Amino acid sequence: MSCGEGHCITCSDEGVPMHVVAVDDDRGLALCQDAEGARQTVEIALVGPVAPADVLLVHAGTALLRVADAGLEAAR
Amino acid sequence: MTMRFVDEFRDAELGRALAGEIRGAVPPGRHLKLMEVCGGHTHSIYKYGVDDLLPPEVELVHGPGCPVCVIPMGRVDDAIAVAHEPGVIFTCFGDMMRVPGSHGTLQEAKAAGADVRMVYSPLDALRIAKAEPDREVVFFAIGFETTAPSTALTLMRARAEGVPNFSVFCNHVTIVPPLRALLDSPDLRLDGFIGPGHVSTVVGARPLEFIPADYGKPVVVSGFEPVDILQSVLMILVQLRDGRCEVENQYKRVVPYEGNLRALEVMSEVFTLRPHFEWRGLGFISQSGLRLSDAYADLDAEQRFAVPGVRVADPKACQCGEVLKGVIKPWECKVFGTACTPERPIGTCMVSSEGACAAYYNYGRFARERAVV
Repeated sequence: MSCGEGHCITCSDEGVPMHVVAVDDDRGLALCQDAEGARQTVEIALVGPVAPADVLLVHAGTALLRVADAGLEAAR
Repeated sequence: MTMRFVDEFRDAELGRALAGEIRGAVPPGRHLKLMEVCGGHTHSIYKYGVDDLLPPEVELVHGPGCPVCVIPMGRVDDAIAVAHEPGVIFTCFGDMMRVPGSHGTLQEAKAAGADVRMVYSPLDALRIAKAEPDREVVFFAIGFETTAPSTALTLMRARAEGVPNFSVFCNHVTIVPPLRALLDSPDLRLDGFIGPGHVSTVVGARPLEFIPADYGKPVVVSGFEPVDILQSVLMILVQLRDGRCEVENQYKRVVPYEGNLRALEVMSEVFTLRPHFEWRGLGFISQSGLRLSDAYADLDAEQRFAVPGVRVADPKACQCGEVLKGVIKPWECKVFGTACTPERPIGTCMVSSEGACAAYYNYGRFARERAVV
């Protein structure tokens, strides 16, 4: 999620798939981890209840969507 | 570390197979120009060398979808003015610190004594405001519909938690009006669009339907991995070959056709459209920018601080406007790679890693292109 290392969160269409590590339902936040192992506190108000191991598309600290198990077949 | 939904879409064998199908799908005798709207695609294309896999008849044109690149100099000057206000902690994403205004950058303002801090999300800025209740914390909000929900939720959180020393300098923009402006531009000829993937997670694919309906151009909403982009190019070529013209969704694993309704709700509560907003290189575009709604006016930095609001012309040497419209390639700009580099950018397209110029420069694409010229 850092700037200057290949991508930057500033940019409009940068979204990062992250998986949920832990959920703080009281505050509407989740601790998430990306493919490089970096962790971030993420706002989950837009995606409803999440559980550990769910994959979320995170943009600027907010989960925009839950990534569905579809698409790869479409690509093949 | 491996990750589902990422590794599969970087599969080299799949990429080569798609490249072969693309070569077979090019209509004979045509030279096709396809615009990728967003900076995320531009960056992926050069990072992974996607353009090297395409036949010469298929040219990718880089669109205006990097919000850093479209910020006009006057707004950077406004940001610097706010950052210099006594007691202000000015927070922004990292790339914005290097965007030149008419009298320097936010980074230079920091060196001159302003308290400018980089954050990774608006939530981080709110956290600073709560930790420093005696200071005024301003967040420099930029971005399309992908970033706007994040700002909106943070403002709602600031309201709910009662954080009076937090405000937002709002520069959010929307994707459809500049696309319409580009399509109306007489010096641009395009055959199809690689649609914005993550913007569409919020707004859905429906707002793009005007492109086939009014302008007769196919659109394929695309993911960001190399296999995604290649597949989207193929889908556009197949539409052209079959004589179809519609919005298709390649990025179904993420983008629902209707978008994220909850995100649209929070945006409509917190933001309202400005009558017009200035875009770097593109000029003023009607109803293309967002400001805070009246209900959130008390958290609007433009209401709280004196913002100069002076319009500043782009530097003459810089051709960001033509680059953003896809009229010229970055390496055709007179200052590309000489006076304008990522270390000392003149134009915004050289600042962000997703700007077309920086993407060309960082991945060494300019040398090959120049040899061709």
